[in-house]
Amino acid sequence: MATQLTRRRYESLGRAQGRAGDGSTRVEFLEFTLAGEAYAVEIAWITEILKPLPITHVPRAAADILGVMSVRGRLVTVLDLRRRLHHPPLEDDTRARILLVHAGEDEVIGLRVDEVVQVHRLADADIEPAAVLGGDQPAHIGGVGRSQGRVLVLIDIRPIVGAS
Amino acid sequence: MAEPGGGGGRGDSAGDKAREEFFSEAQEIVDGLSRDLLALDQLSKSGGSDPELVNDAFRAVHTLKGLSGLFGAAMMAGLSHELEDLLDDLRLGRIEMTAAVLDLLFKSVDLYGRILASVKGDGPEPAAEVKALLVAFGQVTGGRGGGTPNQGAYDLDPNLLGVLTEYEEHRLRTNIQAGLSLYRIRAQFSLASIDSALEEVKSRAKPHGEIITYLPTGSAGDIDSIELEILIASKVAIEVLRTALVGQNVRIDEVERANRGAGGDGGHGTSLIPPSPPPGTVGPGGIPSFPSQHPPSLAPPAADTGRDLAGDAPRAARGASNSMMPGPPGAAGGGGGGGNNRELSLRSVSQTVRVDIRKLDHLMNIVGELSIVRGGMTRIVEKVRQRSDLRQLAGELHRLQRTFERHLVQMQNGILEVRMVPLGQVFEKLARIVRQISREADKEVNLVITGSETEIDKLIVEELSDPLMHMMRNAIDHGIELKDDRLRVGKPPVGTIALNAFQKGNHVLIEIEDDGAGMDPNVLIASAIRKGILTPEEAAELSSREVLGLVFRPGFTTREHVNNLSGRGVGMDVVKTNIGKLGGIVDISSEVGIGTKVTITLPITLAIISVLVLEVADETYCMPLASIEEAVVFDDSQVRVVEGREVTTQRGATLPLCRLEKLFSLQRRSRVRAPGSGKKFVVIASSGGRRVGFVVDRLVGQQDIVIKALGRKIQEVKGFAGATELGDQRVGLVLDAPALIEEILQGASGTIGSEGGHLLAGTLKSSGQAAN
Repeated sequence: MATQLTRRRYESLGRAQGRAGDGSTRVEFLEFTLAGEAYAVEIAWITEILKPLPITHVPRAAADILGVMSVRGRLVTVLDLRRRLHHPPLEDDTRARILLVHAGEDEVIGLRVDEVVQVHRLADADIEPAAVLGGDQPAHIGGVGRSQGRVLVLIDIRPIVGAS
Repeated sequence: MAEPGGGGGRGDSAGDKAREEFFSEAQEIVDGLSRDLLALDQLSKSGGSDPELVNDAFRAVHTLKGLSGLFGAAMMAGLSHELEDLLDDLRLGRIEMTAAVLDLLFKSVDLYGRILASVKGDGPEPAAEVKALLVAFGQVTGGRGGGTPNQGAYDLDPNLLGVLTEYEEHRLRTNIQAGLSLYRIRAQFSLASIDSALEEVKSRAKPHGEIITYLPTGSAGDIDSIELEILIASKVAIEVLRTALVGQNVRIDEVERANRGAGGDGGHGTSLIPPSPPPGTVGPGGIPSFPSQHPPSLAPPAADTGRDLAGDAPRAARGASNSMMPGPPGAAGGGGGGGNNRELSLRSVSQTVRVDIRKLDHLMNIVGELSIVRGGMTRIVEKVRQRSDLRQLAGELHRLQRTFERHLVQMQNGILEVRMVPLGQVFEKLARIVRQISREADKEVNLVITGSETEIDKLIVEELSDPLMHMMRNAIDHGIELKDDRLRVGKPPVGTIALNAFQKGNHVLIEIEDDGAGMDPNVLIASAIRKGILTPEEAAELSSREVLGLVFRPGFTTREHVNNLSGRGVGMDVVKTNIGKLGGIVDISSEVGIGTKVTITLPITLAIISVLVLEVADETYCMPLASIEEAVVFDDSQVRVVEGREVTTQRGATLPLCRLEKLFSLQRRSRVRAPGSGKKFVVIASSGGRRVGFVVDRLVGQQDIVIKALGRKIQEVKGFAGATELGDQRVGLVLDAPALIEEILQGASGTIGSEGGHLLAGTLKSSGQAAN
C-alpha cells in the first residue's frame, strides 16, 4: 500500500506543482489548526473538505476514532486529529471541517480538524526537516514549513491513515 | 505499512492463468456431464433413453481426456480414457444402460470432482477409488462380448450393415426394437445449397423422430444436384411427417415392416422390406431393406458412389465417425424432450464468460469512485448555473450530468446482476446426491425441482450446497418412509421431495418439502430428554413450534445408531449456523404422517440483510434477524445475579443477560425519558445453540439494509459486522451477534464480573492504539 500511496501522491503532485520564480518546484499545502496550533498537509492527499456530518460513535474503537459517517453512500472512518496528536478534545465544532483522504485501495478516511485556514505554496527552501523541532519526533511529523512569516507543522499523513 | 498493493488482476503468471482456465473449464465440463447423466437417469426410470445425451457425455469425457493430457493430470486422463471407452460401448449399444452402469457413471463424476480438488491441493488424490472404479468398468465392459449385436436375430441386410456405421446400426436396431416406424425421405438438393437445404429438412423432420442416416441415392436430375435419402425412425404417422415437410420438395415413404407380430420366433423376427420401390430411383444402400422371405433386392453397396458424389457432402465425415464422434449433425437424434434443454445448454456455453468475482468487486469500486466524480460535477453545475452569462452552458451541463447519473446507476445495477447466478447450479448437484442417497437408503424418491432459474448472489450459492445436502439427507433418511410402510398408509410407493425456489422481495426462498412421515413431537421431546438437551420439566413448557426447533440444537438426533447417512447429531444445528452466516433463516414445519417442510429464507445478495433496529442509550444499532430468536419485554424482577453475571429465566431455561450500554460503556446523554420508556426489552440472540439476552431501551422495527464493511481502522473492533445508512445520513452499526455471544459467554467461564473485564480489555486496546 505504501508504494501505491506514494505513486499516487507523485502523480498528483505532478499537477499540484508549480514553478516558483527561481525555477525550483513548489508544493501546495493546506493549513489547518488544532488547539490553536498551525498545521499543514500536502493538498495532493486531500480529495474533499466537508462540513461535519452526523458521525456514529463506534464503541470500543481506538480513542482517536470519532466514528463512522456516510459520504454519498460510502462509509468513512473519521479520525479526531486532535486526539491523534494528543491535544485536548474539541469543545465547539462549528468551524470544524473533515478532510477526506485516500488511504489506499478502497478506503477513504476522514480527518477532523478545528478549522481550515488557507493554501500555501512551499518551495523546497521553505521546508525544514522535523529534526529542527528537536530529538525524536513522531513519524507523522514530516517537517516544518515557513510561509508568509508563519510556521506550519507539516503532517505526514501516511502513518496516520495507514494501518496503525 | 508495507502491504501488497492489492487489486484483483495483478501478477498472475501465464501458467497460473492457464491452470485456472483448466480448472474452470474442466469443472464446467464435469457439470455438463453430470447434467447429461441426470437426464439419462430420469429417462431410464421410465424405460427410455436419449442417444444424444449419451453422445454428449461421450464428447464431454473426450474433451476432458484431451484437457487433462494437456495439463499433466494423469489420473484424470486415465479415468477419462476408460470412461470414454465405456461410453463408446454404451452409445454403440454394446452394453446396456443399466442402473449399475449409471451408478458407475455418477461415481466418475464424483471422482472427477475429487481429482480436480486434489490437483488444486484441496485434498488427497482419490487413487484407490479411481482404481476400484476402473476395475468395475472392466467388469461391465468385460461382458460386452455377450452384448455384441447378433445381426442374425434382426435379419438386417448385410449390404446395408456394410454402409451404416456401427452407431447408426445400433440406433436403427434400437428404434426397431422400440416399435417405431421407419420412413424414407427422398429429396433433391442443389449442390450449391445442399448444406442449408439439408439442415432445413432435418430440422423440420427432427421434432418428429430420430434421423438414422442419410445417403445419396446416386440418381439425380442433373450434375449440379444430388438426391439424398434420409432414413428416419418415428412414432408419428406418415401424414404428420408429410405436413412437417410440406413445401420442401421431398417424397416420403414408409418402410414397411413384414411379419409384424407374426412368425412367432420370439418376437425377434422383425423384418422390413421396402415398399416396392419404383425402379430406377432406389438409392443403393439408401433403404434399409431387411428381407426375410425375399432375397435382398438392394443394389450394390452405395459406399463408393456415396463418397465420390459427396466429396463435401455430409457423408464425408463417415469414415472417422466410428472412432470419434457421431459425425455429421445428421446423426443426431431428435430424442424427445431432451432436445430443448440441449439447445439451451449449448447456447449458454457459447455465450458465457467466466469472471473472477474480485474483478467485479473492482468494477464496483470504480463505480464508487465515479459517484464521487458525479458529486464534484454537481457542484460545478451549481456554480455555473449561478452565472447568468452561462445559462445555456449550465443547461447543457446539467443534462449531461443527468445522463451520466442515470448510466452510473444502470452500471451499478448491471454489475450487481452479473454477480447473480441461477440456483440451478447447486440444485443439479443435489439431484445427483438425492439419487445416490436414495439408492443407499433403498428408498425410491422422486425429486421435483422448480425455480432453479431463481438467481442469487454467487457467493451465497457457493455456501449453499452443504446445508442443502444435509437437509436432503434428512428428508430421505428421516422423512421418506420405506416403500412397504408407504403402501401400508396408502401413500404412493415412490416418495416425493419438492425443491422449490422463488424470489420474494429482497429475499430468495428455498423450500424442501417431503411427503414422508413428518416429525412426531413426542419422539423429538423424548430424544431431546435422552440426549440431555432438555429436562422433562422444560419439555412441558415448549410450544409446538419450539419442539420442532429442537432439531436445531447441537447434538440432537432421534437415531439410536449412527449410520453413514445421518443420525450423527451434527446436521441441522450446523445447517442453521451456516445459513445464518449468509444472513438467512431456517424454518421448519411438519405434520405427522403428511410430511415436513423446511424453508430457507436468504437475502438475494450478501450485501442486503434483514435486521432489527434497536436503541440503547440514544445509540442505534442493528441486529441481524438471522441471529434473533425472539424479543420480549424485560422483566426486572426476574433478574438474578449468578457469579457476578445477570441472568433471567426464559421458558424454564437460564438466560444470561448482557446490558449493551455497559458492554459498550455508553453514556446516556439525556436523563429525560420518553413516556412509557421505563419499559425495556430483551432481544434473545443465539449462535451455535448458545443464547444471550441483550437488554435494550427500544425496538425500532425491522428493516432490510445494505450492509457495508467497516474501514480497516475499526474492522478489528469486536462485535460489529459492519454498518449501514439508516436514512437522513445517519449510520447505524450492525451488531455481530455470534461474536458478541462468544465474547460474553467466554467471559462467563473466566472471571467474575466479566462485563467489567471486557470493558477493561476494550480500554486497554483503545489506549494501546492511541499510544501508537
